[in-house]
Amino acid sequence: MSEPVMAGTGPVIQMGAKRPSAFHRGVLRTAALSLIGVLSATAIVLPVHAAQSADAVYSIQSTKAQHGLMLDVAQAGARLVAVGDRGHILYSDDQGQSWTQAKVPTRQLLTAVYFVDASHGWAVGHDAQILVSSDAGATWTKQYEDLKREAPLLDVWFKDVSSGYAVGAYGALLATTDGGKHWEDVSDRIDNEDQYHFNGIAAVKDAGLFIVGEQGSMFRSADWGQTWERVDGPYEGSLFGVVGTAQASTLLAYGLRGNLYRSSDFGSTWEKVELKGARGSLEFGLSGATLLKDGSLVLVGNGGSVLRSSDDGRSFRVYNRPDRISLAGVAAKDGDELILVGQGGVRVAAATGAERSQQ
Amino acid sequence: MTGPEQFPMNNQQQEKATLLERLIFNNRPVVIFICLLVSAFLFYQATLIRPSTSFEKMIPLKHPFIQKMIEHRNDLANLGNTVRISVEAVDGDIFSKEYMETLRQIHDEVFYIPGVDRSGLKSLWSPSVRWTEVTEEGFAGGEVIPQTYNGSADTLEDLRNNVLKSGQVGRLVSNDFKSSIVDVPLLESYPDPEDQGKLLKLDYQQFSHQLEEKIRDKFQVQNPNVKVHIVGFAKKVGDLIDGLIMVVAFFGIAFMITLVLLYWFTRCIRSTIAVLITTLVAVIWQLGLMHAVGFGLDPYSMLVPFLIFAIGISHGVQKINGIALQSSDADNALTAARRTFRQLFLPGMIAILADAVGFITLLIIDIGVIRELAIGASIGVAVIVFTNLILLPVAISYVGISKRAITRSKKDATREHPFWRLLAKFASPKVAPVSIVLALLAFGGGFWYSQNLKIGDLDQGAPELRPDSRYNKDNQFIIDNYSTSSDVLVVMVKTKAEGCSTYAAMAPIDELMWKMQNTPGVQSAVSLVTVSKQMIKGMNEGNLKWESLSRNPDVLNNSIARADGLYNNDCSLAPVLIYLNDHKAETLDRAVKAVKEFAQENNKEGLEFLLAAGNAGIEAATNEVIKSSELTILILVYICVAVMCMITFRSFAATLCIVLPLVLTSVLGNALMAFMGIGVKVATLPVVALGVGIGVDYGIYIYSRLESFLRAGMPLQEAYYQTLKSTGKAVLFTGLCLAIGVATWIFSAIKFQADMGLMLTFMLLWNMFGALWLLPALARFLIKPEKLAGKVGGSLFAH
Repeated sequence: MSEPVMAGTGPVIQMGAKRPSAFHRGVLRTAALSLIGVLSATAIVLPVHAAQSADAVYSIQSTKAQHGLMLDVAQAGARLVAVGDRGHILYSDDQGQSWTQAKVPTRQLLTAVYFVDASHGWAVGHDAQILVSSDAGATWTKQYEDLKREAPLLDVWFKDVSSGYAVGAYGALLATTDGGKHWEDVSDRIDNEDQYHFNGIAAVKDAGLFIVGEQGSMFRSADWGQTWERVDGPYEGSLFGVVGTAQASTLLAYGLRGNLYRSSDFGSTWEKVELKGARGSLEFGLSGATLLKDGSLVLVGNGGSVLRSSDDGRSFRVYNRPDRISLAGVAAKDGDELILVGQGGVRVAAATGAERSQQ
Repeated sequence: MTGPEQFPMNNQQQEKATLLERLIFNNRPVVIFICLLVSAFLFYQATLIRPSTSFEKMIPLKHPFIQKMIEHRNDLANLGNTVRISVEAVDGDIFSKEYMETLRQIHDEVFYIPGVDRSGLKSLWSPSVRWTEVTEEGFAGGEVIPQTYNGSADTLEDLRNNVLKSGQVGRLVSNDFKSSIVDVPLLESYPDPEDQGKLLKLDYQQFSHQLEEKIRDKFQVQNPNVKVHIVGFAKKVGDLIDGLIMVVAFFGIAFMITLVLLYWFTRCIRSTIAVLITTLVAVIWQLGLMHAVGFGLDPYSMLVPFLIFAIGISHGVQKINGIALQSSDADNALTAARRTFRQLFLPGMIAILADAVGFITLLIIDIGVIRELAIGASIGVAVIVFTNLILLPVAISYVGISKRAITRSKKDATREHPFWRLLAKFASPKVAPVSIVLALLAFGGGFWYSQNLKIGDLDQGAPELRPDSRYNKDNQFIIDNYSTSSDVLVVMVKTKAEGCSTYAAMAPIDELMWKMQNTPGVQSAVSLVTVSKQMIKGMNEGNLKWESLSRNPDVLNNSIARADGLYNNDCSLAPVLIYLNDHKAETLDRAVKAVKEFAQENNKEGLEFLLAAGNAGIEAATNEVIKSSELTILILVYICVAVMCMITFRSFAATLCIVLPLVLTSVLGNALMAFMGIGVKVATLPVVALGVGIGVDYGIYIYSRLESFLRAGMPLQEAYYQTLKSTGKAVLFTGLCLAIGVATWIFSAIKFQADMGLMLTFMLLWNMFGALWLLPALARFLIKPEKLAGKVGGSLFAH
């Protein structure tokens, strides 16, 4: 690789690398403890490689990509763009009927994708990679990568074509103000001394940015990312994502074992949203969400769970697909129908989440 | 025509008995005594012979795939040899107290069957079968069957949930929850329970019977709501050996039909019995010698006694035919027998040599069972020299031939035969060109159609057994209800010690798996990477976003802790299991090619991708061996046969006359295989050599007679008529005998025996027809009778 600077050489990044995940902390405790002390408040600006490396490894074109693991799906104007395993990025101009595989300079698992307008989008993933597209997802360029981090980025959000944030494992928060030409590690803006993973970042209408993470951790920023405040959450378990509703200051945070919480005051107070599955309360983890144009909300998760609310997230109708497949992301298509991504790839489903033929 | 004219050498050579002839006929009691002694000893040996076969004998041990497999066999958790017992709940599903109890008893019963690798035995009742779940507190997990299990509705519900969480659906538990599997790895040799220092070899037949008695029969009676399905190499071989027992009955049928035909041919009960007994002696000697040299009877060598019996009978018939003709002008049985011996010993020897040469060429196939077949058959035909060429004439010299038979053969020799007269037209200048054109058309058509011929096994399941056999039904049950295919290609990934869990090894393994999954015919691939990704996801609360290899060595190491059997003790070898749709040759070729490409690009110091293990790996190796031997064998057997003909007749034209009809048969045989959907496989490869080796007999018998009449100055068509009159009946009869001997196999429970039987019957009948039809037509163009007329010398037969 011919990156001008190896991104991971900075001390800030290295310290993040060894922090163990909450659930195997015992195994790696020694390693982690020895590194806690290295925590540094200094942030450095990481120079960026604008040119694509000549010998970059591109993802393999495969008809099976569509049925591999896909983790997120977003809309770029009328186009749908989905990202997933082995650097697979698929796009569809016919509402999910057929998918084309984009040219992508990585073979790593991509975890999230965000389009700020009809043509500009970013994808993040393992090896702390950040990819950018300015042609609505057809071609991609690598903006950032950090192998030494040994950890993935897990979500990405952009305010406009120039300023945005990427969040990831061990409390990583990266920021850019020039459309990703330069990414800066600004993890120290957040008081997260336990280095919880940041699993999701989302904008809340007329309020600001919200981050959720491991062990129920929550953070909010009323000035769109400059300063962050820790929020006492309602839940001890991990939260996998957050989504703003159509109402001002209103958001949903969701996570492990069917835990779903709603706040209408930008996270100051929370109420649990009860989810009833076919056999008692829903026990599956929730991992993706989307706000539809009509204000409906759709959440997806493990066990083929598809949840739909038409009352701004106060209550949900729960559907568990018979295939019980783990779902990771969801997008709306024209009409009521949904695009679901997860294990087994991309699917077009009815409004409830059922196979279209089964509705 | 009378005797002296048919056998021009008779009178002049009457007193010129060879040394061998004097040695035998001057010491007839000694010959009989020695034969009795040898027979007694070999009969005893033959009674000791047992059906047997082993995994190693069925595979090409020298093939690089197999050598790599054997080199690493201790590191591969018995991927080659496992039996799977699927226990089906006929009504309802597996979550009932009665079903689980039966399953537990089956698990325990299997545990104590000798040869089972107890440490690897796996079912829902194994403590090693676990479920895991992520909760707010961390990982939760446990045995699938809860500690509290007591068969109550509550604990059964727990069990159901645990099964769902265990990831065993489609593997140990069927997709419809109506059956579950007991996975039984086997040891090829295991410690003797009575003497721990001694290793016992796994007896597949006994093992298979124990599965039937102790598992299937016992538990299906005990709990009528369960049905037991058993698949695996050991069961298959056990069933094959059972199929062999039935083949013995076929031998009886072939024997009876031959007896009737023989009597019809000779009209003499004495000579009929003499031929049958000497031929049986040949079979006994052959079996005895097989045991003496340490071979057992496997499904392939089982067929040798049939061949020996058929070949023996055909030579016996030639002898009886000769003696009957000689008897008409000889004073007594002894003189007739001596004359016949003198006259037929050499062509008999040459025909037998041709057979043996055909069999010996099979030795170049590097597969144990085929080599044993080659050696067994060669021993068998060598034995025929003693029994049917020596013992038979000696025996006849004592018992003689009935007057009625002699009168009949005398009458036959003089009267006109319209049938033979008609057949003799094949040698006429008008018919011969038509025959040649027809033969060329058949050759062209056959050659074109045989392009469809496929290498390898073409059927689903175990191709050795018939599609409707119980084994194949069981196999189909497993394929239909579980997600694992029964065709697995295993790539062995070799690293430095403790190297298999590094990112540098696992990332390329991951790439290989994806490449294979993108190869048509591949269903899925499994390796320690599969487990690692799942575990890393699990360690991160089941979040799909973590389902990827980690660059952190500690995390990676940790993640494969539970990947039992997917890496070896010192983490220097990791198998990649590639599940295929089927084991058709093109599927195997594609998969093997993809792996080879990948290995070429990615092999480096400390990381090697080695082919191959698993049943599909073995089949791929077998196919490669067959593909490379197929043409070699064909060429070799034809060269041998041609050389034999050249030596015998000292004539290139004669060699062509004999060999070309065989070539047509081979081509048509291939077309027939393509038409019947029979692939070129271990079982059908020997057919070529056997068919050509035995088929050449007809040509040799017919041409040697034809030549002798041509030398006497006859025109071709007349010479051919005389040939047919004297030996045509014997040739027809020989063809029938051989065909009947092998045709009974068509009804064998073992599919490949049936295929072999069909192909051999076709080849032997068609070779006979080819010799009778094409040989004279070719002779019309290739042989100049005027050159041969009056000439002495040249051919071995021109004494």
